[in-house]
Amino acid sequence: MSAAARSAGGGIDLPADIQRELRDLESRGDALSYYRLLGLTADVDSPSIRRAYLEQSKRFHPDAWYRRDLGEFGPLLTKWFQRMAAAYEVLSDEETRSAYDREHLSELSETDRLAVEQRALSRAEQDRREVERRARLLRTKGFARVGAARSLYEQSLTFALNGERMHAIGALKAARELDPNRKEISARLVELEREQAKARAASALLSGREREVQQNWAGAQSAYVNAFQLDARNASAALGAARSASAAGDAQTAATWAARAVEIQPDDIGSRLLLAKLLAAQALKTRARAELKIILDKVPDHKEARALLKGL
Amino acid sequence: MAELVIGIDLGTTNSVVASVHGGSPTVIPNRSGYRLTPSVVALARNGKRLVGALARRQAVTNAERTVVAVKRLMGRRFSSKSLQESLSRLPYTVVAGERDDPRIVLGEQHLSPAEVSAMILTELRLDAEAFFGEPVTKAVITVPAYFNDGQRAATKDAGRIAGLDVIRIINEPTAASLAYGFGKTALEKQIAIFDLGGGTFDFTVLHMFKGVFEVEATGGDTLLGGEDFDARIIDWLAEPFKEKHGIDLRTDKMALQRLRDASEKAKCELSLLKQVEINLPFISATPKSGALHLQSTLTRDQLEKLTGDLIERCLGVCAQVMADAKVQAPQLGDILLVGGQTRMPKIQDAVKTLFAREPSKGVNPDEAVALGAAIQGSMLLHEESDMLLLDVTPHSLGITIAGGFFQKIISKNTTVPTSAHHVFTTVKDDQVSAKITVVQGEDEVAAKNELLGEFMLTGLRKAPRGAVDIDVIFDISADGIVSVSAIDVQTGVRQSITVTASSGLTEDEIKSAAKSNEDWMLGQKEDPDFQDRKAKAEELFREFEALWPRLTRAAQNGLGQEPLQRAQAALSVARLQVAQKESEGLAGSIDRLERMLGALKGAVERGLGQEGR
Ligand SMILES: Nc1ncnc2c1ncn2[C@@H]1O[C@H](COP(=O)(O)OP(=O)(O)O)[C@@H](O)[C@H]1O
Ligand SMILES: [Mg+2]
Repeated sequence: MSAAARSAGGGIDLPADIQRELRDLESRGDALSYYRLLGLTADVDSPSIRRAYLEQSKRFHPDAWYRRDLGEFGPLLTKWFQRMAAAYEVLSDEETRSAYDREHLSELSETDRLAVEQRALSRAEQDRREVERRARLLRTKGFARVGAARSLYEQSLTFALNGERMHAIGALKAARELDPNRKEISARLVELEREQAKARAASALLSGREREVQQNWAGAQSAYVNAFQLDARNASAALGAARSASAAGDAQTAATWAARAVEIQPDDIGSRLLLAKLLAAQALKTRARAELKIILDKVPDHKEARALLKGL
Repeated sequence: MAELVIGIDLGTTNSVVASVHGGSPTVIPNRSGYRLTPSVVALARNGKRLVGALARRQAVTNAERTVVAVKRLMGRRFSSKSLQESLSRLPYTVVAGERDDPRIVLGEQHLSPAEVSAMILTELRLDAEAFFGEPVTKAVITVPAYFNDGQRAATKDAGRIAGLDVIRIINEPTAASLAYGFGKTALEKQIAIFDLGGGTFDFTVLHMFKGVFEVEATGGDTLLGGEDFDARIIDWLAEPFKEKHGIDLRTDKMALQRLRDASEKAKCELSLLKQVEINLPFISATPKSGALHLQSTLTRDQLEKLTGDLIERCLGVCAQVMADAKVQAPQLGDILLVGGQTRMPKIQDAVKTLFAREPSKGVNPDEAVALGAAIQGSMLLHEESDMLLLDVTPHSLGITIAGGFFQKIISKNTTVPTSAHHVFTTVKDDQVSAKITVVQGEDEVAAKNELLGEFMLTGLRKAPRGAVDIDVIFDISADGIVSVSAIDVQTGVRQSITVTASSGLTEDEIKSAAKSNEDWMLGQKEDPDFQDRKAKAEELFREFEALWPRLTRAAQNGLGQEPLQRAQAALSVARLQVAQKESEGLAGSIDRLERMLGALKGAVERGLGQEGR
């Protein structure tokens, strides 16, 4: 055990500066934005966010002080490390970060709000410059086009690495125009676009869930519908829309969504059961019965389905 | 001196023990001098417990009492599909225990997988103690990243049964990355680890920065490994034989064991050669035609055809994990290959094609995991280390809600330790209990995920429905192990929770197994010959002591330091064996010391030790 740390904290084996920071976090940490929690201002770029989080981890992760006598600071360390990890999770993806910025603009400090706006501005400026540069490159003639395409492609890798998916997509689109025959360019583009849609759908799905927990059915439904529009193979989104519409008392809309979920996942018993119930609620007995029979075909001893079928 | 801590790679096929020794991570050879110890336990005909190479060697003649690949059974329910699938391939007998837990029949005993694993751990622990000449109790044990809560808990139990204080369970691929990144704390890099061992496949993407190792995403398949490659060869051999002679060799335990050994051997040889001969004389017999032999030539091409889909499955996992980590293959800074099966050239080619680069040669595929575990042990216990590991949970955690749906509470790839809350509200007047079903997995339908346990919330406050809110807190520790606690929101009273459906061992069972393991260790040492050997050893200690001053002089006069160092090492091993009453080991040490003493006396007498020369 380190003697320096001991003498600092009266029997507690944690450096005094960390003790101080933990106390400070306890008293005002709840009011801190994700940026402040990681010791950042809102104008930072992605790589700096990761570095800041990792630096903070070295100090606040419970393993850094494994089996030391931490007294009351033990649980605090765990708590605040977890909060920092959650903050990093949100800020490390371009999509979730912009959503956070939008939703929390009013809670940010004056300087951070300025920084967010600044960043939006500079992003717009950067976008403009990128577009210009691409336009210039697109005017390249002859053999040089292939070289220009390669440089754009490489740039897109760097963008993607830094979590700047939108820029990466832009660069790839230009690269494809310059060199339509390079397979990896189009392949990467397809991949990234799919990923983007998925990320957006996932974030919409998440807010759907949050609102569902808060019993905000209308809000949940619109978020789920949004998620479905972004990723039409997402059965969870369809099912979520069905659940929330049903909770809001709109059995007809709910049934449409449940039917979509069933369409995507024909083997999924849960969605089909919900669909059957919704049909029954609208007195569409024949269709309800048909769905229940399919369930019983797949799972002959499904009690709930059997009981429902009897009731009809 | 820094506290001793060992790292153990408890593999499906092979296990390795390591420690950070004098600032550098080192593999500890076992008492037979090998760095890999086969993960095999057997009950020999004479009733003795055998572990490692000895157990493996007698497997052909004692297949039913030889336990291989016990890791496949760890933390699984007897009735689960995955366990039933593994059973069909194992030569020993497994029956269902009281809580739907598998029990291995070994002679008279019905052992839990944790107890059998504990035997392997005990062996490794004794190897480490022999190496250091002092007791070892602290350990870090590795598991495949994709292990769920039950499998991790079972591994931790095994450690406790072996008398070890398991300070941490860590993921194998993460451990390998620590071995790779050790001493390179200045490096910032994104790397991937491709780990294909005997029974499991893991793929992990990780970011290193200033000594912090941040796992970004991980995934795998706990039922995909080298054994599946062997099985393809076995079928390839057995099918035509069946066609020709009407005998299915796979149903004869002894023949199957021979087929298995031969297939694995052929597979390994094909990593170097283009074709191999497989020769199994007297593999079977019929009354009509007498003895039957099996002879075949297997080419590398053929093997690659037989196993192409297995490699595809690995690549599929890689794609999923890279999508989770939001990274594209060519962006990765390095690819580490871990696990014996990655020696197959076709796998190396597939990896090279997918990632558009040569895999790293920076780590030893057999040893990296154990070395990394040792490094993590030292990172945790030793102050001077400035490395930190940020690992993630491989599965989403959630509960079953109305309609049988899965409600996610903690997402996969969340950094551990982590925790999350869920508020339950009573649905009936005066409701006094509630059941929470906790599952791990990714499916919307709860039943399709792995059941982790059922928890009963009991003794709830009596009140009208909806008036009692219970905050249920789910914690995932840095070991990846889940715990659940609950608090009454209105009164702040801690609610009691009991686990009602778990296949893990109870506290009492662990304690009693630990006790019998300890008794076994002591029994090992109580040997009728022990007192004689002890006396003999002590005589040798005295002789060495008397000779020592002349030896040190001889060392300076041309004999060199090395023989002295060797003698010193042998002496400390023997002293430990005396202290721990390890009779058999001591017999070997006495032999060795006698030979050394003879040689050293000779050297001294030849004049090397005389003054003035
Ligand atoms: N040279 C080789 N070529 C192909 N496979 C090999 C080779 N050497 C070992 N293996 C296979 O690797 C597997 C064991 O790998 P290992 O990493 O020790 O497994 P585990 O971690 O599961 O204990 C076995 O299936 C073995 O057949
Ligand atoms: Mg392994």
